Amino acid sequence: MSEVIINAENVVKDYSLSQGVFRKKEILRAVDGVSLKVLRGEVLALVGESGCGKTTLAKIILGLLPQTSGFVQLNGQLLNQIPRLKLAKMVQPVFQDPYSSLNPRKTIGSIITLPLTVQGDRNPQTWENRVRKTMDLVGLHQRMFHQYPNQLSGGQRQRVAIARALINRPAVVICDEPTSALDVSVQSQILNLLNELRKELNLTYIIISHNLAVVEHMASRVAVMYFGKMVEEAETSTLFSQPKHSYTQKLLNSILTPDPRQGIPDKLKTA
Amino acid sequence: MSDQVLNVEKLYVDIPVSEGILHAVDGISLHVNRGETLCIVGESGCGKSLTSLAIMDLLPKKAVRKVNSLELCGESILECTEQEMSDIRGNRMGMIFQEPMTSLNPSFTVENQMVETLSRHRGVTGQEASNLAVQMLERVGIEPATQRLRQYPHQLSGGLRQRVMIAMTLLCNPELIIADEPTTALDVTIQAQILRLLRELQSDFKMGLMLITHDMGVVASVADRVAVMYAGQVVEEGPVLEIFDNPTHPYTRGLMRCIPIPGKIDRTKPLGTIPGMVPSLVGEFSRCRFDGRWESGASGSSVKTTSLAPLQGKNRSFSVDESPKHFVHFCCDDCLHKSGHQIGEDLAQ
Repeated sequence: MSEVIINAENVVKDYSLSQGVFRKKEILRAVDGVSLKVLRGEVLALVGESGCGKTTLAKIILGLLPQTSGFVQLNGQLLNQIPRLKLAKMVQPVFQDPYSSLNPRKTIGSIITLPLTVQGDRNPQTWENRVRKTMDLVGLHQRMFHQYPNQLSGGQRQRVAIARALINRPAVVICDEPTSALDVSVQSQILNLLNELRKELNLTYIIISHNLAVVEHMASRVAVMYFGKMVEEAETSTLFSQPKHSYTQKLLNSILTPDPRQGIPDKLKTA
Repeated sequence: MSDQVLNVEKLYVDIPVSEGILHAVDGISLHVNRGETLCIVGESGCGKSLTSLAIMDLLPKKAVRKVNSLELCGESILECTEQEMSDIRGNRMGMIFQEPMTSLNPSFTVENQMVETLSRHRGVTGQEASNLAVQMLERVGIEPATQRLRQYPHQLSGGLRQRVMIAMTLLCNPELIIADEPTTALDVTIQAQILRLLRELQSDFKMGLMLITHDMGVVASVADRVAVMYAGQVVEEGPVLEIFDNPTHPYTRGLMRCIPIPGKIDRTKPLGTIPGMVPSLVGEFSRCRFDGRWESGASGSSVKTTSLAPLQGKNRSFSVDESPKHFVHFCCDDCLHKSGHQIGEDLAQ
C-alpha cells in the first residue's frame, strides 16, 4: 500500500555566483544534503522561508535542474536515466502565478492540448474530447475552449494550469505555492479542487507553501526546510502539535490565527 | 481638535475603459480615528487600493475622482493644489506599499532617501538629519543603524527594506499612515515581526493606521475596526470582534467560511467557498452585485439571522443588533430580503 514513489537521497545543489570577471566564483549551496521519501497517494508539504531551497528541490524532482550530487529515484528508477518525455508524463508542475505561467497568445484549448502534442500522442482525433473532459474535471466551462488567458480570472487560470498538468494523467503533481497569488475565496475553491482530484485520480502531491493554514488543511506529512537543509519531517498533526526543531517552533508561532482574541503571536522566548 | 484623523464621505472613482465607464469605487464613506487601526479587506479588484490612492490624490491620470468630503484631522484637503498635496504626502499622511523593493529608489542609499524626506518637509539637513534618520532606524529595530544607513536597498533583505520604508514614513511623525498590503511580500516569520512593530509604533505615535489587506489572519491580529469591501462598495463595517463573531452581510459570511483556521481544521470536509465571480464593474448595475454568489443550499431557516435597525438618511444601511458601531450596507432590496435578517419597523415608511 505505502509504496515509495519518490526517493531522494542526499541531494545537493550548488550554484556558483560570479563575483566579477577576475574574482573567484563563490559557491552557494541551495540544497544541502536533503533526503526525502514520498509515498504514493500522500500529500507532502514543503515549508520554509524564501530562499531556503524549496523551489530548487522541486525543480530537481521535476528534472528541470541537475543536482550536484546525490540521487533522486522515481518509482525505483534513477531520475537522470528516465527520458525527458517519459519523466514529464509522470511528474507535472503547477506554478504559483497563473498570470505568467500561461502563454497569453494561445487559446485555453491549445494550452491544455500542448502536453499531448509534445508527448506525440497517437490519437489526435481524441485530443479535443480529452481536453474537454479534463476541462470538465477541473470545473472550466466548455465555452472557454476558444478563449485566451486574459479573458479569465485568476482562479480560472489556475484551473487551466491544473488541467494542463493533469491531461497526461501524471502520478505526481508538484504545486509550487498554488494559491498564494489568489484571493481567499478563490483559494478555497482551488484547494477543494486539488483535494477532489487527488482522490479521484489517485494523485501524489508535493505542495510548496508558506501558508501554514493551507499546509495544515492539505498535507498528510510536512517537511520543514531551513537554509537548504531538511530540519524536521513529521505527520501533519504531530508537527503542528509537537514541533521539535526551533525553526519549526518559530514558524508555527508566527501563524496569524483569524481570531481577533488572539492578537499577534508573541515573540518566541528562546533560551 | 477632532478625533477623526481621516474622514471620507461618498468617494467615487471612475475609470474610462473601452467598453464604458468602470465604477471602481462606488460611493464609499470611511473614517479613521486617532490611534486606531482600520483594516480594509476585500478581493482583488474590489477597489481597496484605488481608495487609498484616491485619498492620497495619487490616482492614475485617466481615473476620475468624485468625493463629497475628504478631511484630514478636520481640515478639508479637497481643494488643495498639487503643491499643497505634496506638502501633506509623506509629512502628515504616510504610505507604505506592498513591495518594498519597488518603492525604494535603488540608486540612492537609505541615508539619501531618508534625509531627502526630512529636508523636503522639515527643512532639516546635514548631520542633524542623519542623526534623526539613525534614531528612527533604531526605533524600528534596525541594527547597526549607522551602517545600514550607508547601504543601498538591494543590500537589504525584504523584511529590512520594509522596516526602512516604515522608518521613512515615520520620520515626519504623520497623523495617518496608509499601508497597502505591507506584509504580503514577506515571509510568515517576518510578517509577524512587521505587524508587531506597526502596532507598537502606532500606539507610541498615536497615529491613525489604515491597513489594506486580504489576509483575514492579519485583520484579526491588528485591526480595531474592519471595513469589508465588495465590488467597489463597503458592505460591512464594525469593530473587529463583532465582524468576526457576527458577520452579517452574505459576503462577509462567505469570506469567513473560506479561511482555514489553524488548529480547527476538519480535513475530512472541504473548505467553504463563495460561488461565482466578482461582477464586472463596467457600466451601471442592472442586477444585484451579489447575484449568483449565494452559498448553495442557503435557505432562510439554516442561516443565522440578526435584527437590523435602519440608519437614518441612508438607504439599505443598517446597524446590526443595535450596536452603535457595527453597520451593514446592502446594494439592493433583493439581497437585503434574501439575507433573511429581521428588519426594524422603520423601513416600512
